[in-house]
This record gives sequence, structure tokens and C-alpha cells, in this order.
Amino acid sequence: MKTPLTALALALTATAAFAEYPDKPVEVVVGYSAGGGTDVMARTVAQFLEQELGDGASVVVKNIPGAGGQIGFTEVSEAAPDGYTLGTFNLPAALALTKDRAADYDVDSFTYLANFVEDPNTITVAATSPFQTLDELIDAAEADPGAITLGLSSLGGNDHFAANMMQDASGAEFTLVPFKGASNARTAIMGGHVAAGTMTLGQTSNFPDDLRVLAVLADERSPFRPDVPTAKELGYDVQMSSLRGIVAPAGLDEATTDRLRAALSAVNENPDFQAMMAEQGNPIAFMVGDDFAETASKQDGIAARIWAETPWK
Amino acid sequence: MYSDLLHALPDVFAWTNFAAVVIGVIAGIVVGAMPGLSATMAISVLVPFTFGLEPLVALGLMAGIYNGAMYGGAIPAVLLRIPGTPAAVATTFDGYPMAQKGEGGFALQVAVVSSSIGGIASAFALMLLAPPLSKVTLLFGPSEVFWVAVFGLASIIFLLGGNPIKGLISACFGVFVSVIGSDPIYGNDRFTFGQLEMLDGINIVILLVGLYALPPVIDLLETPLKTDGVNSSKLGTEPIWKALPRMNYWKTWLRGSFLGIWIGILPGAGGSMAAFMSYNEARRTSKHPETWGEGEPEGVAAAEVANNADTASALIPALTLGIPGTAVAAVMLGGLLVHGLQPGPMLFRDNPDIVFGFMWQFLFGAILLVLLGGSLATNSFARLLNLPRPLLGSVIIVLMLIGVYSIHGRMFDVYLMLGFGAIGWVMDRLKFPLPPVVLGLILGGFAEENLRLALRIGRGDPMVLFQNTTSLILVALTAAVVVGPTLKKRFIDSRKKA
Repeated sequence: MKTPLTALALALTATAAFAEYPDKPVEVVVGYSAGGGTDVMARTVAQFLEQELGDGASVVVKNIPGAGGQIGFTEVSEAAPDGYTLGTFNLPAALALTKDRAADYDVDSFTYLANFVEDPNTITVAATSPFQTLDELIDAAEADPGAITLGLSSLGGNDHFAANMMQDASGAEFTLVPFKGASNARTAIMGGHVAAGTMTLGQTSNFPDDLRVLAVLADERSPFRPDVPTAKELGYDVQMSSLRGIVAPAGLDEATTDRLRAALSAVNENPDFQAMMAEQGNPIAFMVGDDFAETASKQDGIAARIWAETPWK
Repeated sequence: MYSDLLHALPDVFAWTNFAAVVIGVIAGIVVGAMPGLSATMAISVLVPFTFGLEPLVALGLMAGIYNGAMYGGAIPAVLLRIPGTPAAVATTFDGYPMAQKGEGGFALQVAVVSSSIGGIASAFALMLLAPPLSKVTLLFGPSEVFWVAVFGLASIIFLLGGNPIKGLISACFGVFVSVIGSDPIYGNDRFTFGQLEMLDGINIVILLVGLYALPPVIDLLETPLKTDGVNSSKLGTEPIWKALPRMNYWKTWLRGSFLGIWIGILPGAGGSMAAFMSYNEARRTSKHPETWGEGEPEGVAAAEVANNADTASALIPALTLGIPGTAVAAVMLGGLLVHGLQPGPMLFRDNPDIVFGFMWQFLFGAILLVLLGGSLATNSFARLLNLPRPLLGSVIIVLMLIGVYSIHGRMFDVYLMLGFGAIGWVMDRLKFPLPPVVLGLILGGFAEENLRLALRIGRGDPMVLFQNTTSLILVALTAAVVVGPTLKKRFIDSRKKA
């Protein structure tokens, strides 16, 4: 049933390649509700992508929220690879959920166009916490395994993986407390209901007086908080982050892929775009094409490994 | 703490935001005046449509509707002895006798002025109490929130009045619905039947629209209302500024406001209970209790001031802790969430202009009530009762379908809503109360999630639930709510015997 449809789609794509792409609106599917971080990014990218595609092109954002983004990711993976359906892609979430439940797509179901945002995870405590450094926190966790509670937003996401990798690297044992969403976890940290927590740097940025960021789990210090050391500097080689990019269904023809990658690269180089993203507090980590695909498959590997070692459900 | 309050004021007067309140009040009076249609229903049908609006426009509409509907319910209560909303039952006691005596116009004027006073008092309570409360909510960790949820569930079952067993069954149904979807800790699927659409659980707005809007619409279409009795020319209306000096119910207004505000803050009880308590207290302390029930304007004042005084105050726990005390507050929370506004301490910090603007809108909604409901249009609102009901019913059904579809853009939700509507209709017929279902869904979810988080923090030791004063106070309050009514009954029984 699917094969003739795919063949038809391919045939259409071939003809479409001759016509001027795009000759109808391009849809960007967002797997989350309007107003969230991913949605805001999608709308910003869409606005500049319209300019780059030129010739009155129209790029429309379509929100298909549900099941932690899964409904939207599935929609993109199953769409015709004609360049008219793109989607936002969140790593590691989009691929992590293919491990812990049945999903109709995997890492090979997409054409990786470009990643825009990379927000590194942090280890964070309340400003009133007795722990001044990451080492103090880890010493306490080693002294009484499990006594240090670590708040995070839901299992099977970047927070959970960050906590897991931190435990592996340090040999300390934390009690993981998965809240519903980062804001609940953050409130619990601020209220002292958990000893520490992990969330992305962006999620800490509005609360400089209430939170103390002990370390950022990235290769390099963040330009947003150059005062915060990386975990690597402190002797724990851990990198984890939340990435947001743009993908298309697998099987997108080369001409359109190149066209879109070039357009998205041009979007990234636009100073207005950079300014807008900075204003939204979105740390840009632009990766195009194969670099992005490689990151995706690396993230897929991390999720698969953690799922195999310590399945969370 | 209160400087944000003043800061939010200019936005409220942006013409779109102000117009939203005006339209909301008028729509609220209309909805409240239609017997069977409640504020909860109107707001839940509205919520999906507010998605594309600016937050303050959407919230202004809601605040206006809530205030308007609480008064609107008095119109058929006075003219036909049919309470337009459940909260207006106590208004019929003296309102209808007044109408029979040809004082219907005055009764409605007393109702609108009292409603407005109650609403103003409530808005002030919200403005004064919510900001300091939002500061202490950081003290509420998982174990405290768990107890708040348990307290809320206990109060809704035992304080709602009527049959506690039926209340319990309704609440259990709500709690069951809260279990649907992926579990809050591990994400295991529960009762989803493999449907991705069910993985996030049941959206509160879908449940509310089905439960609160479908049964009354079916009723509306089933029972043609005889409205021959309404002859608005015989209302005996005089201009409201002439009627005002005849209203001297300051004690009743004050007492009713306090009762309404307090009952609004408590989870579970709502406008109807506030109105009854205020009416009884006012009669008990009256110098001439024998005239009550025979057309005593003060009785109308007592009922109407209290059922409006619980409106804004019901939002105090909702905005600060995210735990709604009444079904209407639950719908409003749904409205906030639609706009990405997460209730809790961060709401006041991240979106002060919106949350404080919303409070102002409550205040202006209450003030506008006098202008719109009182002086201009009492007569025209009374004529509303003659609207063709099949037309009205079909319009509401269409709005429900479009609204629910637009939440996620999928038909699945529409079928889900119709399913809940059918359940709601059966429950309504069997006289099962509906608010416990809604609060069971919300509070049940809170209770489960926070119990499990608390136990995880305590590494499995249940004593973590009793480790601090806030938790212990909440445990004591819950015990009082559960045991209190039984003890009171025993006490009364033993006195009867003696």
C-alpha cells in the first residue's frame, strides 16, 4: 500500500524539481503547542526562511501537539518528501522516545537540514543551598548514596540523560526526582524540596538571584554565563544539551535538500536573525547537513545505551 | 509587592481589553439568565476560541462572563422562580414574591447592586491576598501539594451538600479520568488503548465542555419553557439612581461578602453554598424575620452579594498554587494554560501584567455590572427569556464542536467530548453532582503525581508526608472536613433527644 504511494510521491517530486520550488506554502510542523520554546524558534526561522526562499514564498508553522512531540514527529516522518513539509526536531527527546515506546519512525526517517539551537544542561542548586561547588555536591552524594535528590523534568529526556551521565562520570549516586516539566522542577529546587537539579542553562537564565548554577555540561563555557565552569573543567567529562533544528522527511531529493540547507544557512548568517534569537535567550549552535545528522545519530546512541543499561520504565 | 498591581493598570484600559470585559459582562448576564446555562458552561465553550486572542482580551471576557452570569441567574429567579444558575436558588426565596407583588424591577435592581458589591469585594480580596500568598507557595513542595489536593478532594465530597456518596462516586470518576494517559513518573501508558491522542491524558477543557455544556443543551431542547408569565412592562422599574437610596443593607452586604470570599477560597464549595449561608445568616440576625420569604428585598441582597463574592476569591488558590477551588476556577485555569500561563508562584513573576491585569478586570467587571445590568437593560435582559430555545441550543452545540476541534485540530477530541457529554447527561439525570468530576480530574492528578514525587524524595519512607508543619496543618484540616459534618449531625441529634 505504501510503495505505490511513495513511488507516486517520488514521481511528483521529480516534476516538482523542474518547477520552481517552492510554488506553494511550505509547512513547518511543530510537535508542541504554540508559545513554547520550540514553537518560537520555528516561527522565527519561518519568518526568515520566507525571505531567503524569495519570490513570495510562504512558510507556515503548524502546531500538532501531543504525546511529548511524538504526534508531530510522526507526521513529518510520514509526509511526502517533497520539500513542502518540514518539521522541528528536538534532540535527544525525539529519538529517546523511540526507545521507551512504540514509535513509527527512527533516526533514519528524516533528512537532516539544519540545527539552530543548542542549550546545554547544567547542575543547579538553590541560591540558599549549602553547596557552593559541584565537588561539594558530589562529595555529599558519595558520602551517603541516594541522599542527594536531583530534580529534573521527566525521564527519557536530556535532563534525565544528563543526570545519568553525571552519575556515571562521578560514581556518585543521586535520587532522581522527575517532575512534570522544567518549571516544576525549578520551583522545587528554589523551595529547597530537592537538594539540586539539572535543567538547561536557558531555563535558569531568568532566575539569577534564586539559583546557583554549579556547572554547565558542555565542551566550552557558555557566552551567556562565562562565570560558570564546565563539568569537564572540574574533571567530569559530561556533555548533554537540548537541541532544536529543522528536518524534512527521509528521501528528499538532493536539489531541494541543497536548496533548503543553503537557505537555512543564509537564515543563520542574517544578523537580524541572530539578534532575534539572542533576544529570546536561544543559544545558537548552527549545524547543517551531515554534521546535524551525525549529532542525531550520536544522540540516538546515547539514548539507546542508557535505555539498555538503566531502562526507566 | 503591590507595585506590579498599579503597573498592570494601563494595559487594562487598552480599548480591546476593556471592550472584552464589557462584552463578557453582557454575555455573562445573557448566559446566566438562560435557565440551565451556567458560567462554567459559557467559559468552557469559550476557552478554545480564545486561543488566538491576546491573553488580556481572553481573560477579560472570562472575568466579565463570570461576574455577569452570577447576576444574570437572578433574572429568571426573580421573574419565573427558575434559578438561571445553581447559585441563584436562594434568590428565588424573596425575589419571586417581590415580583408577584409588582416589585420585580426593584428586586432585580437590588440583585444587580448586591452582585456588583460582592464582585468588587471579591476582586479586592484577590488583589490583596494573592500576591503575598504567591510568595509563600515556594514552601509547598510535593508532600504539601499532595495534602492540599487531598484536602480539596475531601471538601468537594463532604462540603458540596447533597449526597456525599454520590459526590464520592463523581469524584472517583474524575480521579479515574486523571489516571488516563502516561503516568507522571515513568511515562507508562495507562488506559490509552494504544492511542497517541490519549497519551497526554484527558484535556480538562474537553472534559468540561462535554460535561457542562452538553447536558444543559439537551435539557434546553427537551423542555420548551413557558414564558407567558414574563411581562416586563409590569416590572415596576424606576431609574436605578432613584432606587439606590432605598437599599440600606450594609450589614448584609458586608457579611455576605466575607462569607462568599471565604467560601470561594475553600476548595469544593461554591456560589450556591455561599448564597444559602449568607441568606440564612441575614435572616437569623434580621429584626423582622417573619417578612423573609414573603418578598423581603434584603433576602435578595443577601443571596446575590454572596454568590458574586466567591468569583474572584475562588481564583486565589488557583493562581497561586495551581489548585482550583471551584469548577469555574478550573475552567479559568484551563484558559490560562491555553495561553501558556502556568499558574503558581512564577506566574506573578513572569507575567505580572497579565495576572494583575486579570485581577483589575474582575474589579471592573463587577463595577460594570451595575451600569450594564442595572441602569441600561434590566428590561431587555428580561425579554431574553423569550428567545427561541432550539435556535440557542443548536448555536451552542456548533460552538462546542468547533471549539473542541480547534484545541488540537483533531476529530478525536470531538468524539471524546461527545462521549463525556453523554456520561455527563446520564450523571445529571441521576443527580450525581458534576463539579467533583472536574476537581477529581485535576486534584486526583495532583495528588498522584505529588505523592509519588514525595515518596521518591523520601526514598520510599511515607513519614516524609508528615515531616513539616504545613503538611500537618493540612492533614488536620482534611480530618476536620471529613469528620466535622458527622460530628455536627451527632451533636444536633443528641440535643434533639435531650
